[in-house]
Amino acid sequence: MKIGVYFCNCGSNISDKVDSEQVRQVIETMGDVAYFKTNDLMCSDDGKAFLHEDIAAENPDRIVIAACSPREHENTFMRVLTGVGMNPYLMQMANIREQVAWVTDDIGEASLKAATLIKGAVKRVGFHKPLEKKSIDMSPDVLVIGAGPAGLKAALTIAETGRKVVIVEKRPVIGGQPVLYEEVFPNLECAPCMLEPMLNDILHGEHAVNIEILTLSEVVELTGFYGNFIAKVKKTPRYVDLHQCIGCGECIGVCPVDVKNECNNGLDGRKAISLSFAGALPNVPFIDMSACLRARDEECRLCEQSCPLGDGIILYGDVQETVERHIGAVIVAVGASLYDAGLIPKLGYGRVPDVYTSIEFERLLSSTGPTGGQLTTRSGRQPKSIAIIHCVGSLDANHKEYCSGVCCQSAFKFNLMAGHKLHETRIYHLYKELVYPGKEEFFLYKRARENPNAAFIRYQNIDRLMITEEEDGIMIENTLSVDGSIKADMVVLCAALAPAKDTGKLNEVLDTTADTYGFFEELHGRLDSARSKVRGIYIAGACQSPMNIQQAITQGMAAAGYVLSGLVEGKQLDIEPITASVDTDRCSGCRVCMLLCPYRAIGFDDDSRKSSVNEVLCQGCGTCVAACPAGAISGNHFTNEAIYAEIEGVLA
Amino acid sequence: MLYNNKLNKLQERGYRMSTKPKLSMYWASSCGGCEVSLVNINEKILDLAANFDFYFCPCLLDTKKKDIEALEDGEIAITFFNGAIRTSENEEMAHLMREKSKILIAFGSCSYEGCIPALSNLHTKAAHFKSIYLDNPTVDNPHGIVPKTETEVPEGTLAIPAFYESVRTLSQVTDVDYSIPGCPPEPKQVWGVIEAVIQGKALPPKGSSLGAGNSTVCRECERKKEDKKITRFYRTWEIIPDTQACLLDQGLICMGIATADGCGALCPKVNMPCTGCYGPPVGTLDQGAKMVAALGAIIDIGEKKGLSEDELVRCVDHIIDSIPDYSGTFYKYSLAGSILGGKRG
Repeated sequence: MKIGVYFCNCGSNISDKVDSEQVRQVIETMGDVAYFKTNDLMCSDDGKAFLHEDIAAENPDRIVIAACSPREHENTFMRVLTGVGMNPYLMQMANIREQVAWVTDDIGEASLKAATLIKGAVKRVGFHKPLEKKSIDMSPDVLVIGAGPAGLKAALTIAETGRKVVIVEKRPVIGGQPVLYEEVFPNLECAPCMLEPMLNDILHGEHAVNIEILTLSEVVELTGFYGNFIAKVKKTPRYVDLHQCIGCGECIGVCPVDVKNECNNGLDGRKAISLSFAGALPNVPFIDMSACLRARDEECRLCEQSCPLGDGIILYGDVQETVERHIGAVIVAVGASLYDAGLIPKLGYGRVPDVYTSIEFERLLSSTGPTGGQLTTRSGRQPKSIAIIHCVGSLDANHKEYCSGVCCQSAFKFNLMAGHKLHETRIYHLYKELVYPGKEEFFLYKRARENPNAAFIRYQNIDRLMITEEEDGIMIENTLSVDGSIKADMVVLCAALAPAKDTGKLNEVLDTTADTYGFFEELHGRLDSARSKVRGIYIAGACQSPMNIQQAITQGMAAAGYVLSGLVEGKQLDIEPITASVDTDRCSGCRVCMLLCPYRAIGFDDDSRKSSVNEVLCQGCGTCVAACPAGAISGNHFTNEAIYAEIEGVLA
Repeated sequence: MLYNNKLNKLQERGYRMSTKPKLSMYWASSCGGCEVSLVNINEKILDLAANFDFYFCPCLLDTKKKDIEALEDGEIAITFFNGAIRTSENEEMAHLMREKSKILIAFGSCSYEGCIPALSNLHTKAAHFKSIYLDNPTVDNPHGIVPKTETEVPEGTLAIPAFYESVRTLSQVTDVDYSIPGCPPEPKQVWGVIEAVIQGKALPPKGSSLGAGNSTVCRECERKKEDKKITRFYRTWEIIPDTQACLLDQGLICMGIATADGCGALCPKVNMPCTGCYGPPVGTLDQGAKMVAALGAIIDIGEKKGLSEDELVRCVDHIIDSIPDYSGTFYKYSLAGSILGGKRG
């Protein structure tokens, strides 16, 4: 085997400390090396041309490049090898810049150390095998779970490129949390007006033909892998034809059944056939079969009879079904929920009337809400004072240790919106900490501060707040404050954002992981926060971490970016050759490897009782290779033989 | 005695039919179990004798060292060499048997990888002598006498073999053609090797293991294996394990996952965890390290998120503390032949 060594001076970066002549003398005593050549700057155009021509002339079987960290220029040199017709995996780099020249003062020591690393590389490279990238067919289509801002933005962006997108939404409406709001922070913009163009694009825009919306649906199974997933989606019947119904609402008026409207947190009622709220999209009512008289075997057909389009719009025979979709990637954007304020009993939630969560309060402020936007107490009075409590369950080791970052902005918004509606009403902000990062957010805080009817009171610990019902309103005692107690007619609890209820279940279905707090776990908190640890499953919006609409939209775009750059339409999916593989002849079926793979690339065949590695999902990390007690799993390019040879070369 | 009589008769026949290839078996530092394993091929011993001149076996036959020295180099076709190299005599015999044998086979765990005798490599020779001859409550040694290779007595100089600083495997002192693992090797596997030679089958490449599979004991074990997550370990006396479920899944340290197959999973079959006597699986250099790497991968300390590094270490230590005697557990058979080798200095 002909092995050549190329020594790069890296300008003077390496040659200042490592004497290539001394290194050459050591390497030539090995007897394994056919030639040893130096170059001043191998990554330069001249250097690459030298390498190209020299490989063409020498025609070596393997080469070692002693230069910088492979993180810097391994790809550069691999491209040179490919260009000259040599398999790029037949090269090994010895890092004699970062690991030697930059950290070793003495020239003699540095030269010896460089020679030692090169000896290891020479011994190792003999075990390198030519590896080829493989490619497989893949679907460019995408499943988006959750029709909030993050999911919709991602869906729209992807659909605009002509790909098919399936949106699965649990609720009957799209738009996520903000469609329930009247105004959004920090500029008190009209929320429905802001969202409507995007929702309209999704439903009726130029690219709507590429988007399939499955409402009242949930993903129950996901199999396959990046590029080729099969999703099973359970559809709960809507009983109304989503495409033919014009949303005139005649059917709602005639329905004889009244139930509480969960969309308004039970603060008002709705019919058994209804829209979630005025203006809800898709503008098609749904029948709540748990409330409908037909579910009690009564032969009511009032809604069907009232339909101006005649038969076939109301579908009493609609049944639950499970549909399958073949997609290449999944974007999870299921949002978050409020932390349950009932877990802090002293705050009176559920016990004291007129203690509301921030989302309930949003509905009270909304013109489509239970009071039509009138801010009144349950007894119908205008509140003379409103206490807004920040940090409910946040920054608290007994509840959620983190700061959600958005509740303060909601609270300031409530201050101003309440002030606009009720000019005399006093607003108290009770807070543990106040946050308002960002270039716009400070102004909302400033405006809230400048409200002459507002007062800001800091509390130390939420346990010190005691909220009780008095005859003339609500008493909020702050047992540690010199200000003592406050009277208010309404209390708003700005609770932490917490993972949505079914996040754990969905994590199991998708085989993704949850973080400490139960949010979907990102691949890397800063570099890859829109990727899950499963290749091809991306995460966007508040299901990854508490965030505001702007951040959710941006993360939705980020997820779309991963899809668009990774799954390129008309191309095949490249598979990196540095993966693990199982020698099925030696696998004993002990299942030690099964739970180790961070990328869920290991499967088990119950019939043959053998493990296997899915090379599309495998990232070549080597965890299973190290763990396999039978030595049946090997890592391409990092075989045991190569690693032992490298160690022996270094120690020789 | 029965064996001896039978074998002596065979041997006499062997002498008369000297055209048959010679077969020998030698024991170095070992317990004798390997010889029992050979005779446990039962009536097949007659086939062995029909095909070989069973020439030398100190445990069973009367042939002496001088008889071996008198042979031509390579005159013995096959030597099964069992036992580790503990003393200078063991080493001398290893060289002699190598010289006189065409095929030298490290037979059994002691010879192949050191086995129980090699656990002494965790201590120095001086420490052994101290605990055996000096600090031992059942030894009365007022003059503090410890063995010496040469002792002067009025009649002259007495010499005994030297006790080495550490135990080595056969292949660490001489060139070995094959190994047959096991403590002791399974008679069925021993016969399989002999039969292959009798039938003239092509031998595998030099250095191969004979009489073992290319996977691990789990392949031969019929127990139901689950995806592995172990929250604590048990010693065998602490629980009565379920007879159907994988013993490791139940928290018993079963070395089967990191042990070459070939024994037929005898121990797990009778509800005892494998202790690893068939040595490392093919292509694995260090059985104990492999076992530790695998356990490290499947130990489950429960919820890790939010724990500090110190707390994580404590949780891991808590589980590891339930493993007694690391070297005796993970390197019971393989210490001398492993990368670890033993304690240095």
